Amino acid sequence: MDSLHQAWSFFLLATSRYQDVQYVFMLIPFVLFFELPLYFLNWMSVFRYLFRKSAEAPVSLPYYPKVTCAITCYAEGKAVQGTVISLLEQVYPGHIEVIAMVDGVQKNIATYQALKELTPVAANYTKRSLIIIPKIQRGGRVSSLNAGLNRAQGEIFFALDGDTSFDNQMVNSAVSHFRNPGIVAVTGPMRVRNARNTLVTRLQSLEYMLSMQVGKLGFAKLNVINNVPGAFGIFRKSFIQKIGGWNTGTAEDLDLTLRIKQYHRRYPHLQIEFEPGAVSHTDVPESFQDFLKQRLRWDGDLWYIYSNKHKYGISAATMGWSNFIFLLWYGILFQIVMPFSIVIYTIYMAIKLPIYTFLLNMMLVYMFYLSLITLQYIFYLALISDRKWQDCEAMLILPVYPLFQFISRVWSTFAILNQILNKGHLDSAMAPLWVLKKGKQ
Amino acid sequence: MLIFFSQEKTNLADQYSDLFEICHFSDFSGWEKNKIAPSVFIIAGDRQYISSVLGKIRRDDDVFASLCFAIDPVAPFDNLLLDGQLPQPSVLLEAVSQVEDLQKSLKSSETYITHQGRLIKYLWLRPDFILQPHHEWQYPRFYRYPLLEALSQNGSDSFEWLRNLANNKIIEALTMLDRQRECTYCRSAHLSFIDVCPNCLSIDIKLQASLHCFACGCVDVQDRFMDGGTLVCPKCHTHLRHIGSDYDRPIENYRCQSCSQTFIEGDVQVRCAMCEKEMKPGDLILNEVHSWRLSDKGRTIAFRGEVFDLSSGFDQLDFVSRELFIHDLDWMMVTSQRYPNVHFSLFGIYFANLPDLVELFSHARLLQMLESFAQRLRSLLRTPDLSTRTAESMLWLLLPNTDEQGLTGFHRRIENSMKVLLEESEHKLDFRFISISSQNITGKENAELLLARLSGELL
Repeated sequence: MDSLHQAWSFFLLATSRYQDVQYVFMLIPFVLFFELPLYFLNWMSVFRYLFRKSAEAPVSLPYYPKVTCAITCYAEGKAVQGTVISLLEQVYPGHIEVIAMVDGVQKNIATYQALKELTPVAANYTKRSLIIIPKIQRGGRVSSLNAGLNRAQGEIFFALDGDTSFDNQMVNSAVSHFRNPGIVAVTGPMRVRNARNTLVTRLQSLEYMLSMQVGKLGFAKLNVINNVPGAFGIFRKSFIQKIGGWNTGTAEDLDLTLRIKQYHRRYPHLQIEFEPGAVSHTDVPESFQDFLKQRLRWDGDLWYIYSNKHKYGISAATMGWSNFIFLLWYGILFQIVMPFSIVIYTIYMAIKLPIYTFLLNMMLVYMFYLSLITLQYIFYLALISDRKWQDCEAMLILPVYPLFQFISRVWSTFAILNQILNKGHLDSAMAPLWVLKKGKQ
Repeated sequence: MLIFFSQEKTNLADQYSDLFEICHFSDFSGWEKNKIAPSVFIIAGDRQYISSVLGKIRRDDDVFASLCFAIDPVAPFDNLLLDGQLPQPSVLLEAVSQVEDLQKSLKSSETYITHQGRLIKYLWLRPDFILQPHHEWQYPRFYRYPLLEALSQNGSDSFEWLRNLANNKIIEALTMLDRQRECTYCRSAHLSFIDVCPNCLSIDIKLQASLHCFACGCVDVQDRFMDGGTLVCPKCHTHLRHIGSDYDRPIENYRCQSCSQTFIEGDVQVRCAMCEKEMKPGDLILNEVHSWRLSDKGRTIAFRGEVFDLSSGFDQLDFVSRELFIHDLDWMMVTSQRYPNVHFSLFGIYFANLPDLVELFSHARLLQMLESFAQRLRSLLRTPDLSTRTAESMLWLLLPNTDEQGLTGFHRRIENSMKVLLEESEHKLDFRFISISSQNITGKENAELLLARLSGELL
């Protein structure tokens, strides 16, 4: 709060002395109308959840259906063993069927071998089974997921990534939600497993804490969750089978989330939940270059999904008003319009203002975001974090984080442009080109 | 003459009576009274009847090798004693005439009184015959050879007999059918394998899932970590959430219920179901079960009428086993390298054309010649000298305390004694010597290599 206050007085001081600083007020509408209310709403929802949780007596009625954990594997190699073992190790009294789909098995023979080595290991666990599906023709993530869905025997279907591992409570806490017949999908916090490796991974780790752990929790409790991530989505199998499984094209996770949301008007009881206890750990890109490459696809895919695949699907008539407004606000304005306005505004200031004023403006913006992030981080650490000591390490990179945020926003603009002009969704590592071309163009 | 056994009075089809003279008996003793020489036996009746008649035929001193056919289905065990189901008359006639031809070329001698000779005769008369084992789970060794059991007069062990025949190269293995482990004491293959505690040998062991907490190093049974659906270390109360980063599974997985020892893998104890003795898996005897056929040597014996071994002429020489010989040679080589005053020599003799000489002389004559040579050779050897045989007609002598000079003397003496043998064999005998004394052996070789090198030079 202090730093916010300081920033504010500094801001007042600066505006009174320098006329040019008034340009900074042009930034205020963005921040005030787009960003701050979103954070505010999100945190309010989180507080409401935390308050209810502390007030309610925890009830856990026995509900242990057979579940299927489908792992999409590609070139993970030995790393896939950690994923499978973390699933075999789940503290869950019911049966867990692990299905590992190896896409393009001839190319990824090391991954296949690593899985084969686990067959005798899996036999030692009671109520756990391991099925390996070698896919000779590479068909991409979607094809793997649908293949797994076909073979699945469990009532609950976990769509998981080969480079993600899980806390041993994950299945138990995720499954408990499905006792409510209205829940069709559940997701949980994703943590960065390789956070300590490089600066880039540390930054992404903080980003995951605030967006995946705080952001998704708040939005889910308002029943407007933005996305059920592809690396960690848990679904009621009968529902997913009814809506036809996953659809071709990139960003199949966002596509599926939107398709679920489009049932909201017709079946208002259907819900997507967020379970803070179902923790997953994933690897993020370690070099800055790989990070940019990943975001090029992610942010580009947003445009592909919103402007192309679901052009007519985004309407209050299908997904209800709350989801519609949230999507316009978060999906369109925040994720697509704002990066552009930030870039344009920055360029405008750089040209229009003398250099010292420009730098001062940038400093102000930096201070504002630093305070915002610090505040959120403190809330997170105090109220939500499940590994407080580990998360304390992120404190060191707080000063760099606004810069990182700025760069990713700028890059996001580039990614969206690349998608609009270049059809970037056809350049994805998730599936071969001939499969991607079959999707809606 | 076709001998027809059947319990009831049934007649064979007319086609057979056109080609053969048929004699009917209702039991084996009826035939035994006159012992009419058969060309072929035909048996009809239930399994038990066929089995009893067939067994008696195969055990009979005179007709054991005769062709036998059955009209009715037989037990699998008896099938191996039979030449099959009764074929069409023309085929039968052909089979009978083939056996008669082979019978003529078979050297008639007293050899076939012995059970080895009987087997050779039986196999000779059936050129494509493959000696098959019969699998019977109730039988202690699982596999038995019905034919060998019928032909052996003293009921000796079939596997032992096969081993001797194979060692003498009379039969050769065709395919390996099984490799089984048998009790050290009674050779039964009915074994049970039990995991026991390596500490107290108790069989009361249990697989238990254990966990290892990274925070405090506590290792305990998984149940002790369970706390309301989560894993919590019983010692330091850390919440264990992720395998590999909070905890892992220690390798010790078994626990003995009687001595509380934990271990990775139990010892395996073998218990024989027949003699109830216990042993270790490594002590079990490995038995390979093959199907067999008559070898070239077996066939040679069949038409020459000899079952004995030519090289038995050397038996006078008190051979030691090849392994022992190599062991001693190794020891001598090491000793002579260490102590320059210790000498020894190695002497090899090879008879290249013994089998050809059988054609020239009678077998007995040749054997006599070799025996007298062996006797002379034996008189040349001193008590500490060792001899062995690495092939049928390749002899090796290890002469301790014999330097190069001594070796030359020995060489001369043995040549003299060979002269006699050479004259006896009308100079047809092809023999070769090779010798080496310890001074000429390099330190790089061992006994096995040295023998291999020298026998290569001899051949």
